[in-house]
Amino acid sequence: MLYRTAGQYKTSYEADQALFPVRQDAVLLGIILLFVWVIFPLTASEFTFQTLLIPILIYSLAALGLNILTGYAGQLSLGTAAFMGVGAYACYKMITIMPWMNPIVAILLSGFFSAGVGVMFGIPSLRIKGFYLAIATLAAQFFLVWLFEKWAWLYNYNASGAIQVPNLDIFGLYVSGPQADSIVQYYVVLFIVSLLTWLCINLTRGTLGRTWKATRDMDIAAELIGINLMRSKLTAFAISSYVVGVAGALFVFMWRGAAEPNLFDIPLSFRILFIAIIGGLGSIMGNYLGAILIVGLPVVLNLLPETLGIPISSSMVEHLNIMIVGSLIVFFLIVEPHGLAQLWRLLREKLILWPFPY
Amino acid sequence: MKHFTKLAFAGVLAALTAGAAQAQELYTPNLAYRTGPFAATGIPLMNGQADYMAMLNARDGGIGGVMVNAEECETGYSTEKGVECYEKTKGKAIVTQPWSTGITLQVLPKTNVDMIPILASGYGFSPMMDGKVFQWAYNTPAGYWDAADMIIQYLEGMESLDGKTIAFLHLDHPFGKEPLPVLEALAEEKGFTLNPIPVGLKEMQNQSAQWLQIRRMRPDYVVMWGWGAMNAGAITEAVKTKFPMENMLGVWWSGHDADLAIVGEAGKGYKSISWSFPNLDAPVMADIQKHVIDAGLSKTDETEMKGVFYSRGIIISAILAEGIRVAQAEYGVAEINAEQLRWGLENINMTEARIDELGLTGMVPPFATSCSNHTGHSGGWMLEWDGEKFVKVSDHLTANVAAYTELAQKNAKDYADANAPWPVAEGCEG
Repeated sequence: MLYRTAGQYKTSYEADQALFPVRQDAVLLGIILLFVWVIFPLTASEFTFQTLLIPILIYSLAALGLNILTGYAGQLSLGTAAFMGVGAYACYKMITIMPWMNPIVAILLSGFFSAGVGVMFGIPSLRIKGFYLAIATLAAQFFLVWLFEKWAWLYNYNASGAIQVPNLDIFGLYVSGPQADSIVQYYVVLFIVSLLTWLCINLTRGTLGRTWKATRDMDIAAELIGINLMRSKLTAFAISSYVVGVAGALFVFMWRGAAEPNLFDIPLSFRILFIAIIGGLGSIMGNYLGAILIVGLPVVLNLLPETLGIPISSSMVEHLNIMIVGSLIVFFLIVEPHGLAQLWRLLREKLILWPFPY
Repeated sequence: MKHFTKLAFAGVLAALTAGAAQAQELYTPNLAYRTGPFAATGIPLMNGQADYMAMLNARDGGIGGVMVNAEECETGYSTEKGVECYEKTKGKAIVTQPWSTGITLQVLPKTNVDMIPILASGYGFSPMMDGKVFQWAYNTPAGYWDAADMIIQYLEGMESLDGKTIAFLHLDHPFGKEPLPVLEALAEEKGFTLNPIPVGLKEMQNQSAQWLQIRRMRPDYVVMWGWGAMNAGAITEAVKTKFPMENMLGVWWSGHDADLAIVGEAGKGYKSISWSFPNLDAPVMADIQKHVIDAGLSKTDETEMKGVFYSRGIIISAILAEGIRVAQAEYGVAEINAEQLRWGLENINMTEARIDELGLTGMVPPFATSCSNHTGHSGGWMLEWDGEKFVKVSDHLTANVAAYTELAQKNAKDYADANAPWPVAEGCEG
């Protein structure tokens, strides 16, 4: 019914290889884009921007970066938060050294710093695999957070050791800092997230993406068919860290407004890893679904009792929230270990057959 | 798709809650932390705050005839949740009580835009005392620099500090680093050596490395700037390494009864500077007992009520209530808004007589705020653990604020410059 594919003939290889072989998928994406670009910004309140829309987008982007590395290239990483930190601190230093710089350009450039650091910590991946590599990236996590604490130059010798985002404008319109409007920040985040998502979709479908997948599935076989493993792994580290770094810069500049070094500590890494795993490794859409579940759902759950008029204390809600979200994570992983993206894929296949399954 | 509709639903939901109409009340939300790693210290503070407001509602029918809605929004001490709570409450709130240094850092720059006063009693950024720059922020009645100065004053009152060594055991976090500028200046002036020993957030519960360093250093005193699990960790470690407890002193957040109760007698002599004291004979305690505890409106228990932190919660709410009263009297309206409360908070005059009138006798030293002085500098008392509870061991100490006013003004100016455009109250005198 909804997903009737009858009459959609593919007459060329190109059409068969298209991103959306089924027309309804393209329509669906169009509707989603319409919502995020037009309807949400028009209807959302300040609260929705600050606690749902902006953080979900930023976390999705960070998970997308991790997914390139872990989901596509098969290199397990536990240092995501530290690479986010590199992006954030790089952006902060660039903005404070060159205050005339366009903030969007600065955010996009800051990814290159984390890409460099990412490649450096990716070099061990040429020799070690799996859990051992995870430990090596964990070292990056500890080392970088320690560096953010000890290297006072990074936070401009601020007595409190934290970085504060100044008010930055593009042609007189504030885009970051306390003076910026949420809707402006939302559009900046949305623009960068859309751009990088588009880039990643294309990368993962192209030669590079196929090399990554081959490396992930069996590196010896990949090497035998002529794939340069060093190139494959290091590009995965570089691109993944770039995306994560940009997410980190957005995280601090477009959302938090201030950051202490311990913000980039391991709980954040795990949170992003959870988003990627629950959303679905090796999937682009999964990152968004995962972020909605992990970042968005608790916020909505917190609002529910008050909206429904249930008299319950705030701390009780918080306890219930942790329990509900925790059990949902377990539930989804049991129902579909390959994540929410796979759940959607199955649902879609059923919809294509519905109402006449054979 | 299901999830996107969920998101859309959330959007609509949030829009609805934000726009909901409210009955007449004074909405003073509290960004509480009754969950998470710091809950043990948060619960008594939150109970004290909630109970005082509940008492005012029950006894006087609110403040100036308007009920106080001191709703809590749970943050679990997480900055992310804190910002969520701030955004949720800021629509109708007349005050923000952020409760963590991280959340304070986040909301401080927004206050000029959102025009909501921050009440961060005894914590936050010390240069907030400069009310000309930080028009919307209050760390009444005392800041960390006051604490540092008073601790050194107290030590000097016993013997000259010239040539002595003081180990400064602190949390490696904005909070722990806060008093360093003042301590360093004092070290130079008084001729003692200051050895800062940071404790990382991950090492809070296991400070054997730090205490080994302290044993090797043999300092004359240990001054502690700890919070949460770090306090209990340091105190048990000090007892274990047999450090003389009478030479160990902490800031007011390091004086939690439960942390000392773990070591009991062995903790005897440990001191903590404080601007609040649990005077169980104060009339306010009887009123809370009668109107709140006996009426079953409280979550607190008897042991907790005797503690320093519970009474500190009461004082914080009392300061807020006093600010509301002052604003009500000035503007002639009962239901004041955030801007009017801002004026109220900077015109508090807690004289000895006023403290007695409020029933807070002996629980807080007198202080007064002004447009340029948002801290009030109440000073405080040195409290000592006698094996069972904290007792006052000093007269009322007052910080030598003049020594660091210039530094505060400079730091405040730096902050304003970094966050330009930052409006400053130019016409502010005295």
